[in-house]
Amino acid sequence: MNKLTTKNAFLGAIVAFAVSAGLLTAPAKAVDQITLTIWTFGEVIQPGLQREYQKLHPEIKIIPIKNDVDPLHQKTILSCQTGGPADIIAFEVPYSGYWRTGNRPACFQDLRQMKTSGSNADAGVAANLSALDIKKNYLPWRWEQGVAFNDSVIGIPTDVGGLQVAYRSDLFKKAGLPTDRVAVGKLWPTWEKFIATGQKYVSKLTAAEKKSGKGFIDDAGSIYAAVMNQGTVKYYQPDGTDAGKLVYKTNPQIKKAWDTTVKALNSGIGARLGQFTSDWNIGMNKGAMATILAPAWMLDYIKKQAPDTKGKWDIADLPVGGGNQGGTELGIPAYSKNKQAAYDFLTWYLAPEQQLKVFKTYGLFPSASVLYDDEALLGYKDEFFSNAPVGQIYTKGVLKLKPIFEGELQRKIDSTFGAGLGRVASKKMTSEKSYALVLSDIDKLFKN
Amino acid sequence: MTLLRDGKGRQKAPLTPWKKKSAKERKALPGIASLDGRWGYPAIAPFFLIFLIFGVAPVIYSIYIAFFKWDPLGESEFNGINNFIFLFQDSDFWIALRNTFSIWALSTFPQMVIAISLAAILRNKRLKGKSFWRTILLVPNITSIIAITIVFQQLFGRDYGLINGLLGLIPGVDHIDFIEGVIPSHVQIATMITWRWVGYNTLIFLASMLAIPDELYESASVDGATKWQQFKYVTLPSLKNTITFVLIVGTIGGLQVFAEPQQLNAEGGSTKQFLTLTLFLYNQAFLNNKYGYAAAIGIAITFIVLIISAINFFITRKLAGEGSR
Repeated sequence: MNKLTTKNAFLGAIVAFAVSAGLLTAPAKAVDQITLTIWTFGEVIQPGLQREYQKLHPEIKIIPIKNDVDPLHQKTILSCQTGGPADIIAFEVPYSGYWRTGNRPACFQDLRQMKTSGSNADAGVAANLSALDIKKNYLPWRWEQGVAFNDSVIGIPTDVGGLQVAYRSDLFKKAGLPTDRVAVGKLWPTWEKFIATGQKYVSKLTAAEKKSGKGFIDDAGSIYAAVMNQGTVKYYQPDGTDAGKLVYKTNPQIKKAWDTTVKALNSGIGARLGQFTSDWNIGMNKGAMATILAPAWMLDYIKKQAPDTKGKWDIADLPVGGGNQGGTELGIPAYSKNKQAAYDFLTWYLAPEQQLKVFKTYGLFPSASVLYDDEALLGYKDEFFSNAPVGQIYTKGVLKLKPIFEGELQRKIDSTFGAGLGRVASKKMTSEKSYALVLSDIDKLFKN
Repeated sequence: MTLLRDGKGRQKAPLTPWKKKSAKERKALPGIASLDGRWGYPAIAPFFLIFLIFGVAPVIYSIYIAFFKWDPLGESEFNGINNFIFLFQDSDFWIALRNTFSIWALSTFPQMVIAISLAAILRNKRLKGKSFWRTILLVPNITSIIAITIVFQQLFGRDYGLINGLLGLIPGVDHIDFIEGVIPSHVQIATMITWRWVGYNTLIFLASMLAIPDELYESASVDGATKWQQFKYVTLPSLKNTITFVLIVGTIGGLQVFAEPQQLNAEGGSTKQFLTLTLFLYNQAFLNNKYGYAAAIGIAITFIVLIISAINFFITRKLAGEGSR
């Protein structure tokens, strides 16, 4: 979800300037103005909902400042040492392991000690609710990702990156494959069948199409993360300690995910388009891929990048079923001067009602599990994706997920494996050699 | 270098040499003249103060943490010189060193040729719209690196990039993967750097070309020298010092290449094929949380810069010695 955010930061700075200027010239305002500064990335803070909240609370100004995920992480570390202007900070789940470990949770306000003020009572958030009181609204394992190992609650989950397969029904038809989403889902109960379907698809492509780089799936490497997340353990195994036990060498799930992905890479079903590259964006419009393993939040991206493909896409179940990719937490830094206002905003913003609105406009799948049997979510269909019951399909997948322990260097280990698969994809190394290099690269991480 | 050597006489030299005035008249202008004496140090103090806080202090601090396993939010432990030992054993460091110099060479030398050629064209007295051309040369330099990278990624895209589109028109030529290949990826990054800096260097060359007296060209043409001979025997030798200057500035910039490779791939590529020294440092600190190790890398880079500066210094002195008549 890396986006260019300089412009937003710039706008944010202008707004901040305007606000402070406004405060300076009009000190005689009846209500004290509170400014909530939110450090965020991507589409975590929705402008529509932000406006809605400011209508409810004219006394509160919300200023989201966007960064990319990794620089924001650094900014958060720095500001924890020095203090900073933020009242709310977003962090991605792969970084949650970092913040939950050691004495780092102290960087965030323990939300168990906060109580809602009741200022949003009319908007559906009752007074006197601590984080423990709202816990029941959320998917349990997703909630745990915001709970530190000293049991303090440092973040509340925004979305679940439920993963399913987005496919082009027109291209499937051309290749003689079924187009109905249920029938398509039945094509691939396993990843092996998924690869076999891909080979069938690729065999129907003309030589010219193959030469121009067309394939069945955008990036066969994306299968790795999907298979990994279908397990229960990734690189760290919970062993009662905060850090967890490192199992990147022994966990069979990793080897399984690696081998499946290598098989897919070698079978030639991938268009070898790295996600979020310019080739990927263009390829999406040109029908270079017939399938994308799409987390819920990616649907909006597809809509924006390839508006002309409206109605040609559909959504089917992921092989094996249940997948996850991404997700974000919102927390309040310990140094914030507006904790009460920030907590009131968070509890409102992440309440089920608002999560549903976000899902309908931006496709971020709600982490509020109370919605999962709500007709408003289950019945939601998306015109762009051939009226697929997006709500129902993603709910089904998310419910199959099991909690995964995210350790301190999760994100880094993930990207090391990603690079290893990249070497296999570009045929620079054999699978075995590349795998060995991945392990030694990770060893290095812990050596010094 | 020469500026520094002349520094001794600075206090005596008038600050405004273009206004030749007697000592008496100068006293009548207290504002500027007094800057020379008592107010000189306070006037330069703000810069040195800020430099001390934001320049020297972090350097000293990072030398300190280079001897630790450093955790900004946790407990740090003393690590002796292990960070440095590890650095010399780390294959990534040597790859980064190789990449940095390869990208530097690929960007610096073509850039010189292009910049000198462009300057030679712009020097032409009969050229129309001179200021327009000179201004437009600076536009790439003030464009954000991120924006440049996005545009170049589209040009260099493997499947749908313009360059590969053109290559594809030639029968029998395959698309080049400008990310996965070692040299192709260096070419892509070097092109971005060249694009950004060539205009700036052209202006520097142009300024020094305009300072070459016309008489030299006139007497050369009287002697029957062709345009090319004039360029070779009059223009180029006069540019010697400028070329050295551009080379030094380019080397310092070349050792700091960061944003371009980072935008292509934050890890520097799947086989670290375009991992540069500064990107290596950044990733160790800010992706791997190894701040102490990153500080050690920083010190290593400092030494590399020192060595290259020393080489530059000797070459410059030799050239300057030859050049002085």
